[in-house]
Amino acid sequence: MREALQSLFLLRQAPNPTALAICLGLALAASVLLLYALHRLLGPRGRRWLIALVTFVGGLFFGLEWFYPARGHPSKNFLTDWIEPVSNMLTVVGAFTVGLGIYSLSQVHGRNVRLRRPGWHNSLAFFIAMVAMFVFGLWEHYLHLREPLPKLVPWPKGIYEILFSGLFAPLQAATFSLLAFYIASAAYRAFRIRTAEAGLMMAAAFVVMLGQVPVGAWLTSAIPAASGWSFFRLEKLGEWVLAWLNTPAQRAITFGVAIGALAMSLRVWLSLERGTFFSEQS
Amino acid sequence: MGALEHANWFMTALFCTMSGVIVASVLLAQRGRAMFIRRIPGLAAIEEAVGRATEMGRPMLFSTGLWGIDIVTLQALAILSYIVRLAARQATRLIVATASSSLLPVAEESVREAYTSAGRPEAHRPEDVRFVSEEQFSYALGTIGIMARERTATNFLFGAFFAEALMLTENGRVLGALQVAGCPDPTQIPFFIATCDYVVIGDEYYAASAYLTREPTLTGSLVGQDLAKALLIGLILAGIGLATSYAGPAAPHNFLLNWLAQGR
Amino acid sequence: MQQIPRHYIYLLLAGVVVWQLLAPMPLPISPSTATRGLYEAIRAVPEGKLIIISTDWDASTQAETWPQTEAVIHACFQARKRFVIMNMQPPMGVKLANDIALEVGKQYRARYGVDWANWGYKYGYGNVLMAMAKDIAKTIGDDFYGRPVTRLPLMQGVRSIRDIGLVVEVTGLAGVTEYWIGLIQGPYQVPFAAAYTAVMAPGYYPYLDSGQMKGMLVGAKGAAEMEALVRSPGKATTIMNVQSWAHLLIIALIVVGNLGYLLARGRREERRQ
Repeated sequence: MREALQSLFLLRQAPNPTALAICLGLALAASVLLLYALHRLLGPRGRRWLIALVTFVGGLFFGLEWFYPARGHPSKNFLTDWIEPVSNMLTVVGAFTVGLGIYSLSQVHGRNVRLRRPGWHNSLAFFIAMVAMFVFGLWEHYLHLREPLPKLVPWPKGIYEILFSGLFAPLQAATFSLLAFYIASAAYRAFRIRTAEAGLMMAAAFVVMLGQVPVGAWLTSAIPAASGWSFFRLEKLGEWVLAWLNTPAQRAITFGVAIGALAMSLRVWLSLERGTFFSEQS
Repeated sequence: MGALEHANWFMTALFCTMSGVIVASVLLAQRGRAMFIRRIPGLAAIEEAVGRATEMGRPMLFSTGLWGIDIVTLQALAILSYIVRLAARQATRLIVATASSSLLPVAEESVREAYTSAGRPEAHRPEDVRFVSEEQFSYALGTIGIMARERTATNFLFGAFFAEALMLTENGRVLGALQVAGCPDPTQIPFFIATCDYVVIGDEYYAASAYLTREPTLTGSLVGQDLAKALLIGLILAGIGLATSYAGPAAPHNFLLNWLAQGR
Repeated sequence: MQQIPRHYIYLLLAGVVVWQLLAPMPLPISPSTATRGLYEAIRAVPEGKLIIISTDWDASTQAETWPQTEAVIHACFQARKRFVIMNMQPPMGVKLANDIALEVGKQYRARYGVDWANWGYKYGYGNVLMAMAKDIAKTIGDDFYGRPVTRLPLMQGVRSIRDIGLVVEVTGLAGVTEYWIGLIQGPYQVPFAAAYTAVMAPGYYPYLDSGQMKGMLVGAKGAAEMEALVRSPGKATTIMNVQSWAHLLIIALIVVGNLGYLLARGRREERRQ
């Protein structure tokens, strides 16, 4: 158990695992105390001010690292070496929220089971699936089996394979496959040629659809591949539509969306964003 | 030509100019200058959609997409706040389905504040802001389950959507819900258009908060965005002209390309 | 004609799929320029350099990404290029890709750790790539089986991104390519190629056009084209037979729907007159 926990936190690889564990514990305790103190001492106005400051400093760090003149190859400035540890720190903070999700789900489904609401057996199935995947997933990971696998595979590995390769993966693939049926019915129902532009779009769609499958090449196989008319072979026409019509359109959309994201990012960074979530005053 | 590890002075100048244009536009709007925003049908339909649910006496669903806390989802939360205030005024229930555990507390806070600012804090039900699953199709199926069990009259889908988008909207359509969707990624737009009643496309998505609130800071930012786009179009046209006039093996080297490629 | 119940559409589609799986009508497949680009890029990897195959996909997209990964691995083995599999999201992809490599490797008598390896799932996107660019062994740590990568024979002499000859990203996820291009292809000029699902591929043509990508497989068709190039027809070639007729069915349904719409509009105008 201790070995499992140690390898979870990679303490084994630290030069002084005990000191590291103590430091981690102290840092965790200090963080809890600091957050509690901030929560008690700062009113709503003070909290907004603190959030705005942290947002600004965070955005300034990454922006400054990108824009500050850099030298060498790969180029570096005085902030570049800090990017990795800061990004790792953000990743760790994000990882704490995994527990939040599990807590929220357990709350909702636990209430269903406790109060025997209609469909409570689905909530029970959720708990069974979560616990089974968690237990056998970790167990299989710490078995450290090597390739080639032994003829008699240990039973935890067997159950993990049933759950993962036998249930989870096929279910995921099957659910994704439903999209094929949905697109067929949605295309039949929605694609109507009401205007000339819609007709043009439909023609392009037919060309690309047929160009993406061998039957398109077969339909226009009478056109010699080496001749000047080969452009009108469906697979060539489809490729041309994707490379020469689609590409500039995609670039244009990317530019527009990127500028929209820049404006939104500036508003959030400078705490100019308005609305209930951000602030009320104008 | 490779990508940049850090900005060269051209990129810095471009960024400062575009940001300056956006900020200047914001300041002008804050000083009272009127700014025009064209009608965006998808956003204009939100009030109608909320009204439909109120008349039918059925709840609404808001899906925030698959991503956690980032620009796309923050914009979705801004739209969510607006819808919550409408729903609170009309006493209509709104269920929020999130796919990110890190987004859950932010969404809860956003919804609670919106109900409070609408003067109806008692109408807020914490259990109506739900984390469904981080897994794409588990999220889709869970949300479809909510739509079917709660018989939602209106579905709002704003955020980052991927393959599960068609699944959500097709099932929503079959269940008879009015659907308004918006996503900045163009890949899912065709599926939304085929299955939803109103769709907010590309740039319109980032214009949403400005359009809905008409708040001067936001409208100023939106107009600044358009001016920055015009600047970029001008640069592209200038680049085309330069590249064309400097084309050919005997032509002198294109100084703009040299700048951008940092001599590589 | 405008109101065919959706259940009949589903049945028709299912029927076409089953028909083509049981009685396929194979049609010739000719590789596109984009697919050839990826194939040539694999063959052009210098001796002594590794290929990274980043398998950022899971079971939901495996109809397209499984045959793509399989075809790329075939190409690597045939060209006698050493490669490693890795994955940044979702974690399932690295296990599925491992199964593929083990299966395909049997045909070429490939040895794990010598001809190929699996670096496993590494969380962190940009952080992982930035760190990997400078020190691969330190960033990757242990392989898929929990062994230090430094102990693998194929890792001898592989220190940083400069020892990588090609990155091939196989994915159904949007957003990961930008990390590879922004942090690896651009700054270090490491050749980059990719394989995408058909839905997301159109969005990446700009990278192909600008030369940042050497080649691209587009959906199951790209995988079938690659299978044709490596002369190893597999899943994708079978899928192409099915997809051909499914596309024809969808086109037929759209035409029927529009005919119904035109007839209905004609009748409405007649009644008005």
